[in-house]
Amino acid sequence: MRQLTGTLERKQAYLLLVLPAVMIYFAVIAFPTIFSIVLSVSNYQGGAVFGEKANWSLVGFKHYLRMFKDQYFWISFKNNIWIMLMSLFIQIPLGFVLAYTIFRKLIVGREFFQTVIYMPTIISVIVVAILWQSIFSPYGPVTSFMRMFIPGWENKLVSHPQLAIVPVLFVMVWYYTGMYLIIFLANLQKIDQQVIESAQIDGANEWQMLKAIILPALSGVIVTTAILAISGSLRSFGLIWAMTAGNPARRTSVLALYMYDNAFKGAPNFPLANAISTFMVTVSFVFIVIAKKIEKRFGGKE
Amino acid sequence: MKRLLFVLLALAMVLPVFAAAEKDQAAEGPITLRVLNYADATTPAYAVEKEIWDTFRAQNPDIVLEYEELFDEAFHTKTEAYAAAGRLPDVMFMWPSGRSSTLYNRNLVKDLTPLMAPVKNEFVPIATSPGQFGILGQIPQSTTNTHVLYANLGLLKKLGLSEPKTYADLVAMVPAARAAGVEVVLIPAKSDWVMQSCLFSMVLGRIAGDEFINDVLAGKANFTDKPFVDSLAFIKRLYDDGVISRTALQIDYGEGPALFASEKSLFYIDGAWRVGEFITSPDSGVALIPPAKQQSDFKLMNFPVIPGEKNANSSSVIAGTGFGMNANIEAGSAKEAAAWRLISYLNSAEVLKKRLETGAFSNVTRIGVTASKMEPLQVMNAQLAPAKATYVVDGILDASVYGPINIGLQEMALGTATPEQVAQTTQKAFEEWEISN
Repeated sequence: MRQLTGTLERKQAYLLLVLPAVMIYFAVIAFPTIFSIVLSVSNYQGGAVFGEKANWSLVGFKHYLRMFKDQYFWISFKNNIWIMLMSLFIQIPLGFVLAYTIFRKLIVGREFFQTVIYMPTIISVIVVAILWQSIFSPYGPVTSFMRMFIPGWENKLVSHPQLAIVPVLFVMVWYYTGMYLIIFLANLQKIDQQVIESAQIDGANEWQMLKAIILPALSGVIVTTAILAISGSLRSFGLIWAMTAGNPARRTSVLALYMYDNAFKGAPNFPLANAISTFMVTVSFVFIVIAKKIEKRFGGKE
Repeated sequence: MKRLLFVLLALAMVLPVFAAAEKDQAAEGPITLRVLNYADATTPAYAVEKEIWDTFRAQNPDIVLEYEELFDEAFHTKTEAYAAAGRLPDVMFMWPSGRSSTLYNRNLVKDLTPLMAPVKNEFVPIATSPGQFGILGQIPQSTTNTHVLYANLGLLKKLGLSEPKTYADLVAMVPAARAAGVEVVLIPAKSDWVMQSCLFSMVLGRIAGDEFINDVLAGKANFTDKPFVDSLAFIKRLYDDGVISRTALQIDYGEGPALFASEKSLFYIDGAWRVGEFITSPDSGVALIPPAKQQSDFKLMNFPVIPGEKNANSSSVIAGTGFGMNANIEAGSAKEAAAWRLISYLNSAEVLKKRLETGAFSNVTRIGVTASKMEPLQVMNAQLAPAKATYVVDGILDASVYGPINIGLQEMALGTATPEQVAQTTQKAFEEWEISN
C-alpha cells in the first residue's frame, strides 16, 4: 500500500475520513439544536420554514419571558429538579448498595434478586405507567389495602397539589434502579479480585474496603451514572405522560411535558416549545459540567 | 474489483430512473389517499368501525387507503404534528371547532360547500352550513349532547334514594352514598377537557347562557363578570359539597364507563357518545350493562336544577364530528373525486345507520336514517332532548382561551385557585387572543 507522504495528502485523507461523521453530527445534532434556538426567538406558527411560502420572522426573547412568567413552567422545572435529586440521591445509591450486596455475596439468591430488580427496566414504560396508575387509582389495590385498616379512606395520593408528584417519584425509583444496579455490578466485576482478597488478608473490614478500594475505582462510573441520571431526569416524559398526563392541574408536569403541551395541545406555540427545549438543553449542560467538575475535584482514579 | 464497483455505480444511477417510470405508471392506476381516523380499538363498536372501512376498500379497488387511526390525545398530537410539518392526510376526522381549530385557522382544510351542494337536501341544515370558521370544513355526522347524566336507578333504589330533581337533592345523597362506599357523581376528569366539555359548558349555559358568551366575544362583557364567576363557583361547590370527589382527577377517561357499570357511583357524567361503551359489543356479544338491566335500572337525564340557573333544563350541544379534506388537493382532480367518494361513503345511509346502531351517535344529520336495532340506553339517548341547546366552551372559544379554563377547573378542585382567579386568568388569555387576532 502506498504511504501518504505529503502534508496536503495527509490533510485530504483526514478530511475524507472525518467529513462524513462531521456531516452526520451537523445534520442530526448541531443543525436541529441551532434551528431550535432560532425558532425560539421567532414567531413561526407551522407551515413552510424555507422558501417563498415561509412566513415567519425573528421577534426576540419574548417567548423566554413568557415562559419564565408562567407558573406551570416553574412547577414543571421544580418537578424535574425533584426527579433529578431523587435519581442522584436515591436511585444511584440504592443501585450501588444493591449491586455491592450482590457482588460481595452478602445475600443468598443473588441471581434471583438481580433479575427481579432489573426486570422493570425491560418492560415498556407505557405498560409500567398504566400498571402503576391502576395500582394508585382511587379504585385500585392501594385503596383497597388502606381501607382494610382505615374504613372509608379516600385515596387522594395523586390529587394533592404538593404531593401528587410523590407516587410518580416512587415509580421512577422502582423502574430505573435496576439500570444502575446492572451498571455498578458490571463495573464491580472488573475490579481485580486479588486486590480485594489482599485487603481482606491485611485485615481491612467491609467499610475500609469500600472506602479505599471500591469507591475510588468506581468514581468514573458514579459520574457516568450521575450524568445519565441528570440528562434522564430532564428528558422524563413517557412514564409521566402515560401515568398522569402532567395532571392534576399540571402538578405532575415536567419540562418535556410542558413543552409537549405547548407544542401540540390546544393552541400550538412552537416558538415557546422551542424556548423550553433550549432551556432544557442549557440546564442539562450546566448540570453535567458541574458533575464533571465534582468528579475532577473529589473523584479517585480507576 | 474496479469493474464491479463501476457496474454497481452504474446500476445505482439507472435504477432510480426505472423506479420513477414505475411511479409514473402507478399515477395512472389506483389513487392513494392518506387517511387519519379517530377510533378507539377497545370500544365494543370497534368491529363495526373495521367493517365500515373494509367495505369501502372492497367496493373501491381503484382507491388505496393509507389508513391510520388513533384515539384521544394521541390523535390530536398527531394531527397537530402533521399540520406543523405540512404533511396533513388527504382525508381526516375532524371536530367542527375546538380541537381542530388549527386546521381551520391555518386554512389547511377545504371548504366542502361546492362538493356538498348536489346532495345538500339529503342532510339537515347544520350539516351543510358553514361553521364557526366560515367554511364547511367537515360534514358533521350528528349533533351531540356533550353533557349527559347517566343514572343508576337500581342503585339509588337499593340505597333508599330517589331520582333527583334539584342540586340540593344530589347534595342530600352524599351521606348515604358515602356510607355505602360509592360516589354520588363520577366524572373521569384526569384529562382536563372532560370537566369543561361534559359539565362546565352545561353549567355555563344554564347560569350565563349563550348571550353572555356572545357579549364577551363582542366586547360587551368580561369573563370576570358575575355569570361566569358563578358558573365556576358552582363547579367548586360540587367538590366542596362532596357531590363530586376530588379523586375524579385521578380517573382516566377510558376507565369511566367500566367504573360506573360496576356500581362505583350513583351517577356518571360524560358525553352522549359514550352510550356505545355500555351496549352489547357486536364482536363479543357482551355488554357492560346488559340490555335488560339498561331498561330496568338505568336512565339518561339532564343535570337537575342548578341554583341561580336562568336556562332551565338546557344542555351543551355541538355539531358533531365528521370527515374533512386536505386543502392542498387540487379542485377537480382525480384525487379530489376519490377523497369526496370516501367522505360521501362515510356519510352514506349505510354507514350512518351502523353508527347509530353501535351507539356512537344518538342521531344522524342525514335525513331518513334510522336504526333497526337499538338497545334501551340508545333509545333513551335519542329521546334525551334538552329544553335549550347551549354552547360548548371549546366549540366557541379559541384554544388559547379555553385552555386556562380547562386547567382552572382542576386548580379549583385542588383548592389552588378561586373561581375569581380562574376568571381573571381566562379574561387575560382572551385579551391576549384578541390582540393577536
